[in-house]
Amino acid sequence: MDRHFGEEEGGKDGGRGDPLPESPANPGRELGLRCAAMSGGSARSLAKGSAPPGPVPEGLIRVYSMRFCPFAQRTRLVLKAKGIRHQIININLKNKPEWFFKKNPFGLVPVLENSQGQLIYESAITCEYLDEAYPGKKLLPDDPYEKAYQKMVFELFSKIPSLVASFLRRQNEEDCSGLKEELRKEFSKLEEVLTNKKTTFFGGNSVSMIDYLIWPWFERLEVLELNDCADHTLKLKLWMAAMREDPAVSALLTEPKVFRGFLSLYLQNSPDACDYGL
Amino acid sequence: MRFCPYAHRTRLVLRAKGIRHEVININLRNKPEWYYTKHPFGQIPVLENSKCQLIYESVIACEYLDDAYPGRKLYPYDPYERARQKMLLELFYKVPHLTKECLVALRCGRECADLKLALRQEFCNLEEILGYQNTIFFGGDCISMIDYLFWPWFERLDVYGIADCLNHTPALRLWTAAMKQDPTVCALLIDKNIFLGFLNLYFQNNPDAFDYGLPC
Repeated sequence: MDRHFGEEEGGKDGGRGDPLPESPANPGRELGLRCAAMSGGSARSLAKGSAPPGPVPEGLIRVYSMRFCPFAQRTRLVLKAKGIRHQIININLKNKPEWFFKKNPFGLVPVLENSQGQLIYESAITCEYLDEAYPGKKLLPDDPYEKAYQKMVFELFSKIPSLVASFLRRQNEEDCSGLKEELRKEFSKLEEVLTNKKTTFFGGNSVSMIDYLIWPWFERLEVLELNDCADHTLKLKLWMAAMREDPAVSALLTEPKVFRGFLSLYLQNSPDACDYGL
Repeated sequence: MRFCPYAHRTRLVLRAKGIRHEVININLRNKPEWYYTKHPFGQIPVLENSKCQLIYESVIACEYLDDAYPGRKLYPYDPYERARQKMLLELFYKVPHLTKECLVALRCGRECADLKLALRQEFCNLEEILGYQNTIFFGGDCISMIDYLFWPWFERLDVYGIADCLNHTPALRLWTAAMKQDPTVCALLIDKNIFLGFLNLYFQNNPDAFDYGLPC
């Protein structure tokens, strides 16, 4: 489950099940929104009191996102890697629009919405959906065992997001060294995978789904001053360098100082955090 | 292990798809040393094929079987419907832990009203899905993967002593009744007395618990 740091587990609205597609409340506003969103991932986020966006135009898929969210970055990486035409609507995660809970009862990003009004959430599920639903380069292997192997590696990675989140919320230096030690342990597990596979990437000699799914947290190591946790995992460091060369990864890289600016505001629960740098 | 709900998922899929298989039961309280070469933490279920490929995590194993073997597909073909089943699985994630905690509490003579309340809330969420969809099963009008992935914990509610947690969820009760009619579920149903015998020995830390009910 996508567990975002600072996200309360609550925030689910009473109604569950498939919400019906929204009809545009205000067509002029909706058009304005669409123009803003088309400019890529740089649109201002929508907050409480904003009008719900209209239906997704045919030929496009929409992703509800937040520019600095690592879970949503997974989905944006897959959209980019597969060359899928899409529209991004950023959500102010510190001041969520009420209508957003109709898109995802958990109120979290990423969420995909297509022109049929179908909604898909949970980052790993969105990524797999995109790979299955869209043509072009397959990011998940066709071979059932290789696909299962990628999912097992994903499980091996699964403690890292919450460790990084805990690190951000740490209160003192004792917590810091304990968490860094745990992170080193988790990195060793991934190092073992690369050692056994003898390949550059986690799925073989070219980038594939598993690499994109885990990348966002590795991108953030530098700005979080956690790079030294990878000191003893040389293949992992080589992998990180190789990932930075990948076109989808490099197209979506966030400047460290912009990320730092966001982080500082986000940790203070500022409603301006999500739009930092715009 | 004959009574493990996670392994039960995999056995249901093997049966539902008619896959020829061999079961090796592991004594979870006294694991063979070699078993750690199959799974780093010695957990079950693990699949091993003739190419010596190992697949573990019950959900991953079930999907692998559906992908690798012909015949009836348990996951839908449509990418959105597949995604929907996976989203439903997320909704279920608290149930295994809560049912186990209730079992342990009751067996240790502890109160578990709060746990049962939490479990009932999870069941309400699932009830809402069935209500919204207006279908018998979680994937539609026919049984499919998501139903098999949920089933093992519902089968155990009675023997764990918490069947009353379904009292306020009629659609879910209808679903359990429909599941018990499914040939695959039926074929793998565990006799209540045998299960109770296992539980008694298990909670006495008896290493023979896992083989309870087998002929000597």
